[in-house]
Amino acid sequence: MMNNRLIYLIKGELIRLHKYKVTSVSFLIALIWLIVLYFVDGNIFNDLLPLLILVDSTMMSLMYIGSVMFFEKKESTMSSMLVTPARNSELILAKILSNTIHNLLSTALIIIVFVIVKNVEVNYILIFLAIVFSTLYHTTIGLLLSYYQKDFTTMLMTVMMISFLLLIPAVLFSINVLKSDIWEYILLINPIQAANEIISQSFKPINLDWKYYFSFLYLVISGLFIYKFLVLKQFKNYAISISGV
Amino acid sequence: MSSIFEVKNLKFKYKNNQENVLKGINFDIKEGEIFGFLGPSGAGKSTTQKVIIKILEDYQGQILYKQKDLKDYKQDFFEDIGVSFEMPIHFSKMTAIENINFFQNLYKKKADVEKLMKRVGLWEDKDKMVAEYSKGMKIRLNIVRALLNSPTMLFLDEPTNGLDPSNAKILKDLIREFKNSGGTVFITSHIMSDIDQLCDRVAFIVNGEIKEIDTPRNLKIRYGQRQVKVEYRDNNKLIEKSFSMENLGNNNEFMEILKAKDIETIHSGETTLEDIFIKVTGVTLDDEQ
Repeated sequence: MMNNRLIYLIKGELIRLHKYKVTSVSFLIALIWLIVLYFVDGNIFNDLLPLLILVDSTMMSLMYIGSVMFFEKKESTMSSMLVTPARNSELILAKILSNTIHNLLSTALIIIVFVIVKNVEVNYILIFLAIVFSTLYHTTIGLLLSYYQKDFTTMLMTVMMISFLLLIPAVLFSINVLKSDIWEYILLINPIQAANEIISQSFKPINLDWKYYFSFLYLVISGLFIYKFLVLKQFKNYAISISGV
Repeated sequence: MSSIFEVKNLKFKYKNNQENVLKGINFDIKEGEIFGFLGPSGAGKSTTQKVIIKILEDYQGQILYKQKDLKDYKQDFFEDIGVSFEMPIHFSKMTAIENINFFQNLYKKKADVEKLMKRVGLWEDKDKMVAEYSKGMKIRLNIVRALLNSPTMLFLDEPTNGLDPSNAKILKDLIREFKNSGGTVFITSHIMSDIDQLCDRVAFIVNGEIKEIDTPRNLKIRYGQRQVKVEYRDNNKLIEKSFSMENLGNNNEFMEILKAKDIETIHSGETTLEDIFIKVTGVTLDDEQ
């Protein structure tokens, strides 16, 4: 069970996402995607929708958490948080979970609209789990990246680099540009490909294969490892370095 | 008075530094007193504060808070203290009251926010975005933020830096009221008048070492010169003379001047804390360390 302070911190983070216009930007982007996809037909639509959800729960998660961290860095508010009874783990989890909730809402909007207007068939439980775990993982990575970036511009550059190295191969594989079987195995260590597997297999017809289970476990286990041994461990040093006190 | 904090042989080094920033300092803070750290920029004042409020943890030496090792305290320590950093720190796109309510709900103990904000003259502007606040208003809000959990102990880093005299007075009065209600205060400052006016005891810190600790009064008695300065006219010429206050009534020259000369001004004068700081440490408060 989540403790009350964690719930309170998540609520605070969600309010700040709204106040700092991050929510508005994410819903605006969702709206743009809705309009673009609305005019796409047939097979292209069926390929594009999972890809779009993949981009939203991976790259966009990195961007949103990056922007939150840089707002805090700019205002040095982290130092005030460090001298409250809130634990470091609560401060980090509040950021990760609020970003996940926020991302889940904008992605859910896209899915619900297309379920209604284009009769998209999706397993709601599987897509919910897929979005939540993909976003949790990539938000955690985004937090870790933000520790090492000087400003938002360098964060953007890093996200572009990750897109180039991880997202593009996953996308090329999913649209059959990378056809060789070897890619199927090489890309399994790519977290974006893992997210791609669990998202794309959530659309009907449902036929979960070993790659689904592997990808799911890969995201959960490596995500927990990154959280515990990198993000949580280095948080205090990062918070002190940006606190400006 | 018993000690609320006891700091023994405290040493601290930042990761990228070769040398210790704090070089084995010893001091204690007594319950109910205002204890000041006076020193130039870079002397180690803020580092000391960061160590004793558990922001910096890799220190050597021992720190006891209420007779218990500081390292044994978890997050409950923060229920007990209030901290105001030198820089005003708030969420700028939230109103002042939203900021205060957000932080206050993280604590078990809660002060009367309306009373506090009225005391610092911010209640009328509570619904304004902090981004619209002046620097003085942000600093006053910082103090409200530090007091919102009714702390036992207050840590203030350069509390009046950047404030105009009237705002500085509001803040100093608030600090005195906190002390009078039983609170303990730790102030770091390079502004001599703050320390002189507020502190029961003061430590002079230079280059990570404490050079002297005592009450401002004792320091003045020990290091200062108590003098009387007289200005008088003699053959239309203005003459100034200083006399030690020791046995002043038996000082014939002084008595003669009073009887025979046309006195223009007569002042008693004490050495300022700043003069004593320079005398004891050999550096000025404006120096960078």
